[in-house]
Amino acid sequence: MLKLKYFLQQSWLLLVSSFFFGLLIAVTNAALSGRIEQNKAAKLNELTKVLLPDAERFQPVEADIEVELPNGSKEKARVFEALSSDAQRVGWSFNARGTGFAGPVELVVAVDKDFQKIMGFNVLASSETPGFGDQIKTDYYRNQFVNAPAERLTLTKTGDPAAADAQIVAITGATVSSQAVVDIMNTFVTRIKDQMREKGLIGNVTQ
Amino acid sequence: MSPSNDTTGGPYSAALLSGLWQENPTFRLLIGLCPPLAVTTAVKPALTMGLSVIFVLVCSNLVVSLMRTLLKPHLRIIMFTVTIATFVTICDLFLKAYQPRMSEILGAYVPLIIVNCLIIFRAEARASKSGPLLSILDGIGMGAGFTIALCMLAGVRELLATGHLFDIRVMPKAFVPWLAMQMPVGAFITLGLILGLINVLTRKKES
Repeated sequence: MLKLKYFLQQSWLLLVSSFFFGLLIAVTNAALSGRIEQNKAAKLNELTKVLLPDAERFQPVEADIEVELPNGSKEKARVFEALSSDAQRVGWSFNARGTGFAGPVELVVAVDKDFQKIMGFNVLASSETPGFGDQIKTDYYRNQFVNAPAERLTLTKTGDPAAADAQIVAITGATVSSQAVVDIMNTFVTRIKDQMREKGLIGNVTQ
Repeated sequence: MSPSNDTTGGPYSAALLSGLWQENPTFRLLIGLCPPLAVTTAVKPALTMGLSVIFVLVCSNLVVSLMRTLLKPHLRIIMFTVTIATFVTICDLFLKAYQPRMSEILGAYVPLIIVNCLIIFRAEARASKSGPLLSILDGIGMGAGFTIALCMLAGVRELLATGHLFDIRVMPKAFVPWLAMQMPVGAFITLGLILGLINVLTRKKES
């Protein structure tokens, strides 16, 4: 009993102020969380719309699609169905992530409506080295993925960057970052494709 | 550090002004050096960081000053930390809601203001020993000094790394960007040179 009294005597200020500070943060969060979510969604929409110009809105796919990451852990993939203004499906998009040279790399990837071709990707977040690794954001590198088959991609040192094939030419001086994007694609594209096929979301056509 | 009463104009103007030059946290006291090195690649994020620090510093100084008579000596540091963490979290939420672009660039460095020793130092040295008005003025002065230092560093780095200032091109077309200025090495070199310059100037003034 004495101990409890001593404890309260010493720490009442901390307990009381923690309560009020917590309340203050909760109120701020409640007031702003809607806007923050809106900002996030707007950014994702904006970056995905560039990849799928016909898309008007993106509807989250309800089905459980899991992706096994290279470190063995499983993650629920966030897949969206891209719909045009007259509610026609124009493609799919999903978030993908992995590890780059300087930290995590987060991408949004778009594929066509039959999941046959990659329509491109955009970088949501990365901390790759300016001038080197962050060239994964440049058109030169990103355009290589446009119209590439939605299958396993490989990174090469030489080749034709303009060809729409499964060969991605690495960025000089940024092999690790280039490889990271290809690895993320390989982790997510084929696995999401297989599961969507199993669940009947896309047709069973092969090229 | 005791309030410097030697400056003419009384303790209030001294509290406001000492942070700008005499006790400039970055250039004279060399404390809280993480943001000056990490977020000064461009002026806009540096300014955002500076304003965030002013907000946190003023709020935490005020709260600590109000509770200064209730503080138990051995529990004061945890009280400071809880106070600072609250305002940093609020600031982070506001940036995410109203400045999503800046929030993205600053990334983890906004939450890291919690462990910026400038703020805990002012709570210990000024706010826990002075009245609310003096503490607020001190927060404004120190924060402004910190912001000016951030913007000076960021100005030099942005100009040399990209040829831009506030995202507007100011250098002639022939200017070749110094990519190194955008990387950590650029921050260290710029800070070192500015510190050297300031030391040379103040030494001349003193002799």
